[in-house]
Amino acid sequence: MFKKILIANRGEIAVRIMRTCREMGIRTVAVYSDADTTALHVLEADEAIHIGPSEPSASYLNMEQIIHAAQESGAEAIHPGYGFLAENPAFAALVESTGLSFIGPPSPVIRDLGDKTKARKIMQAAGVPVIPGTMQATTDTDAICGEADHMEFPLLIKAAAGGGGKGMRTVKGPKDMQEACVSAISEADKAFGNGAVYLEKFLQNPRHIEFQILADQQGHVVHLFERECSIQRRHQKIIEETPSPVLTPALREKMAQSAISAATAARYVNAGTVEFLFEPPDRFYFLEVNTRLQVEHPITEMITGLDLVRHQIEIAAGNPLPFEQTDVSSRGHAMECRIYAEDPAAQFFPCPGPVLFYQEPQGPGIRVDGGIYQGFQVPVEYDPILSKLVVWAEDREAAMNRMIRALEKYPILGIQTTVPFLLDLIQSEPFKQGETHTDFIDKHFQQWAPGEQRQDLAAIAYVVDTLTRRLVSRDSREPRGIPSPWETLGEWEL
Amino acid sequence: MGVVTNKMKYRLIINDQTRSLDVSPGEGDSLEIAWTGEDPKEVLFHSIGEGRLFLVVDGKAVEAFVADGSDGKHIFVNGKTFLVRDADKQPRRKRSGSKVEIPEQVTPPMPSVVVRILVEVGDRVKRGKGLVVVSAMKMETTLVAPYDGTVTRINTDLDAKVAPGDILVDLEKEGPADE
Repeated sequence: MFKKILIANRGEIAVRIMRTCREMGIRTVAVYSDADTTALHVLEADEAIHIGPSEPSASYLNMEQIIHAAQESGAEAIHPGYGFLAENPAFAALVESTGLSFIGPPSPVIRDLGDKTKARKIMQAAGVPVIPGTMQATTDTDAICGEADHMEFPLLIKAAAGGGGKGMRTVKGPKDMQEACVSAISEADKAFGNGAVYLEKFLQNPRHIEFQILADQQGHVVHLFERECSIQRRHQKIIEETPSPVLTPALREKMAQSAISAATAARYVNAGTVEFLFEPPDRFYFLEVNTRLQVEHPITEMITGLDLVRHQIEIAAGNPLPFEQTDVSSRGHAMECRIYAEDPAAQFFPCPGPVLFYQEPQGPGIRVDGGIYQGFQVPVEYDPILSKLVVWAEDREAAMNRMIRALEKYPILGIQTTVPFLLDLIQSEPFKQGETHTDFIDKHFQQWAPGEQRQDLAAIAYVVDTLTRRLVSRDSREPRGIPSPWETLGEWEL
Repeated sequence: MGVVTNKMKYRLIINDQTRSLDVSPGEGDSLEIAWTGEDPKEVLFHSIGEGRLFLVVDGKAVEAFVADGSDGKHIFVNGKTFLVRDADKQPRRKRSGSKVEIPEQVTPPMPSVVVRILVEVGDRVKRGKGLVVVSAMKMETTLVAPYDGTVTRINTDLDAKVAPGDILVDLEKEGPADE
């Protein structure tokens, strides 16, 4: 087993990985940029190495600096987390070539699955259903428009190198094809340095259901059930749960077998996620494989009792999976809310700034993977995720009620967060009914505003806070708690 | 404990709404609080330190969290956050309009970095045309023309760090508006 691991990431995921490392007796090395000198992942690591300025391209995306930091610290393996370099085949290859272990799939697997049309071909050959469409990506707009003549509208133009909705266009009719193609190609070219696009049938209002898989170097593949991730804003998930409210046991088994076929066909190793689009009542299509740990992995950990990061590390160290498919079972219901520094009343605009107050909720079945603390300045340069709030309970209804309680006891002050919005969403009738589709937020929460409920309590809190502080300061001969340096400094002038 | 003797009147701005309430002392750590014109509520309170208040309002336990910000008290109660200010201590300030309207000036809504400049000096632009794209926390935002006009000056560069209030593009309004 490795004695020391470098975590090439920041924020909550770096902290979450370090927790498992500590439990396994593995020392941790953090890397950090100028903006993150006092970030939580730096403070929690056994060692921390500065790798450059705040801009991601100069620090967390700087492959040479990260490899150098690993060599300098004597780390034997690199965990990439999610985002940044996690799905970059060139980085994985560089790590492999320097004799370090990459905690993730081998670089050729990342490369194959990162190319959407190549992935579609691999899956089609393995009998995994793919979304109807073209199998060859190109920058030739005439050729694409020609293909579109044989397809039904609306359809989707997608970038072969795609991700995050970049280079993606929904086209309503043939007359819009030419223009949509040109703009999709140019956007894809700018975002990925590869403008090639292909076509897919547009699915009305699908659900996003994904399967977690684990594969060891010896060729064993298991699935760890599904995650329903349909509730998204800006093509990014915000609430995930498992089990999915719509899958029957038979359908779950069928999709799980497809996920295993997909992983096997791609020669997958380590933890990965096979994403499907699901069309009621029972149709599903391969969407893509995420070749990394997902943000939402904790809900799978909650229902299976397995630590995915531990298994990632064990697999990277060459150990075989210590269990078989029949040993894995799912228990209860788990849900995750992503807590972002965003203003949900203003199109989820990012809100960096100082955290004036921070306290995590507690109690049975609650888990917080946090990356901030009170007094931390949330930097402007990075993804606005602050933490993941995860709950587990016996069934879906109990999990919802537990999530409500947890959100109600999760004060983060100073910056806008998604907490008040998530609370309204979880308590809404469509969510209770399990009507979770990818258009959920647009359909039910287009014009969300904080609302007036609890204003009276806020007013009471204001008054009480003002009065009690006055009382405390008047009673200054009996200071409460440990006096601050400001009170004990005496006559020093500052 | 000291005693609160007089009845106090508060006018509070909660988020964007102004509301008035009367506060009078009760027995021990308790208060009577009433929205103007409504029946008073009894509030028991206990402050255990900077920022954490335990309240009992109408017989129900409520935990509230308070932090002082530069713009007022930030308050969290039962999952909701509020910005609360004392209306009588506020400098009068014009509130900005609704969020769906296009701001009158070409300025970023938050600290960000300029990633693209879409116009040049002399360009005539229609209301809603993208002028500058800024990026913050991985999210790109296009700042658009607030009215039809001509670009008279560009006050920024690619990769420049900009903040709310910085006017990135000067626009000269075109003749009589068509509405």
